[in-house]
Amino acid sequence: MGIVWAAMGVGIIPLAIMRAMKEIAAKPSEENWIFWSIVIVVLMPIIAFSLITFGVFSLKGEYQSVD
Amino acid sequence: MANNLSASHSEEVSSTRRVIAASSVGTLIEWYDFYIFGSLAKIISEQFFPKDNPTAALLATLATFAAGFVVRPFGALFFGRLGDLIGRKYTFLVTLVIMGGSTFVIGLVPGYATIGFWAPAIVFALRLLQGLALGGEYGGAATYVAEHSPDNQRGYWTSFIQTTATFGLFVSLGVILTVRQSLGLEKFNDWGWRVPFLLSIFLVGISVFIRMKMSESPLFAKLKKEGKTSANPLAESFQKKDNLKMVLLALLGATAGQGVVWYTGQFYALSFLQNACNVEFVQSNLIISIALVLGTPFFVVFGALSDKIGRKWIMMLGMLVAVVAYRPIYTVMYDAASLKKKTEIAEKTVIEHKAEVKGSDSLKTTITKKTFTDGTTYKETKKEKFPVDPAKKAALPKDKLKPETKKETVLPQDIFYKMIGLVFVQVLFVTMVYGPIAAFLVELFPTRIRYTSMSLPYHIGNGVFGGLVPLISTRLVEATRPGPDLPPADPLAGLWYPILIAAVCFVIGSLYISNKPAAMDAE
Repeated sequence: MGIVWAAMGVGIIPLAIMRAMKEIAAKPSEENWIFWSIVIVVLMPIIAFSLITFGVFSLKGEYQSVD
Repeated sequence: MANNLSASHSEEVSSTRRVIAASSVGTLIEWYDFYIFGSLAKIISEQFFPKDNPTAALLATLATFAAGFVVRPFGALFFGRLGDLIGRKYTFLVTLVIMGGSTFVIGLVPGYATIGFWAPAIVFALRLLQGLALGGEYGGAATYVAEHSPDNQRGYWTSFIQTTATFGLFVSLGVILTVRQSLGLEKFNDWGWRVPFLLSIFLVGISVFIRMKMSESPLFAKLKKEGKTSANPLAESFQKKDNLKMVLLALLGATAGQGVVWYTGQFYALSFLQNACNVEFVQSNLIISIALVLGTPFFVVFGALSDKIGRKWIMMLGMLVAVVAYRPIYTVMYDAASLKKKTEIAEKTVIEHKAEVKGSDSLKTTITKKTFTDGTTYKETKKEKFPVDPAKKAALPKDKLKPETKKETVLPQDIFYKMIGLVFVQVLFVTMVYGPIAAFLVELFPTRIRYTSMSLPYHIGNGVFGGLVPLISTRLVEATRPGPDLPPADPLAGLWYPILIAAVCFVIGSLYISNKPAAMDAE
């Protein structure tokens, strides 16, 4: 399953950036800028970093000893 | 001999009770302080952040969001490190003083009309301090109580700390409603909103007095005596693979899902009642408050149950039922309040028109009151403001002439109780995921870095993932709106965010988390 988590973490980066660019280009309002800034600067890095690192740990079998 | 043993046991129980009470009261006050800002956001915005000043408006947005999800994790790191270096007792005493002091001062800051830009700047700084303090408080209180609890009752004892967030929200709503009802809306909007903030200093004073009398956690005191405390808790928590992997597991397998379930069941439910169902202010707050009171004991029930059957499956079940049940629950809530599904008593409909001139502006108010066969009443107030001079009126852009509309639905008793039941079910989900989580988190990490390691995933999960529920959910609903003045095609679209996060968290938690509670030794 590790590959799935890592892939999700990697996949979310272009997905969020492309969506943000598309929406801001369509309507460059202050509201849009604030919303996408929060998503790109705060939420996306947390999700991407944690899923990628978690996936790599999982692939290496680090969590087999947890239970 | 038997008498001595029994006396020693009852002394131990009474000492643990004192620890729980002292920790819980302080944490409750911190949550109360944090929530009154959010609950009074509209008035605060009018007093300190005028919309016609773009910088002040930006500060308002930052104050709302930054304190919730940017500053809280920093507070977790800063105070967590301090707690692992110097001790739990002094650290969460400091967080309490910072939180209480900031809240009290917000109640004293003169408005924008009096001191101009300083007003939003000061309030913004105080709000950041609140976020920092909250980031440090919870981990300290949970760790402190857990380190006093016996291994086989840790879920039970720490669950009292878990009740404080919900109870803090309830107390903040109760204080605001009481002050508002006793002063009247005009006085409350003028100066009465400051009362809940000022009240905080008395509550904090009492709590500081109680906490000063407490002793350091026995596990930490032992560690300190043996000179085994961590020299660098941050590096040890996040640079060592063995700890980092548990921090990530805590975040992705538990706290992220807990955060979204927590915010959806309490905040999103209130916002949905007020904005999607148009339920009147007092009635919607009453629905949430009653559901919170009914649900709060279940934090302790599930905390205690986790000592018997393990923490994992209670939390996972809470997330699973939330994922499966959110859309059906909100569909029933929406339909129960929907006027389209009710029969209007046409002869009872009243329409009032008022027109007045204020300075150079003309103000036209239309109030429509409707009554329905099931006892529902509906009031729509439409206010139009435009210049008396027709030339000036014609020059204004269309969106400036758009009437301001306020819709208020008062539900009949049976639907009111039905709504309480539906929110109560959501609070039950919250108690399942949140009741055992403090015990689960403290057991993941060793004593020397426990405060730091457990605080960060908790505040990222609760603050970032949970704190973003209102913003992202509103955005998802807006995306289904076919046109600017048309209602959203899917008023429940906002639920996809918490459903998705809780579902991923459920899968990760189910696959990777252990169900065996760990013993906590001084290490």
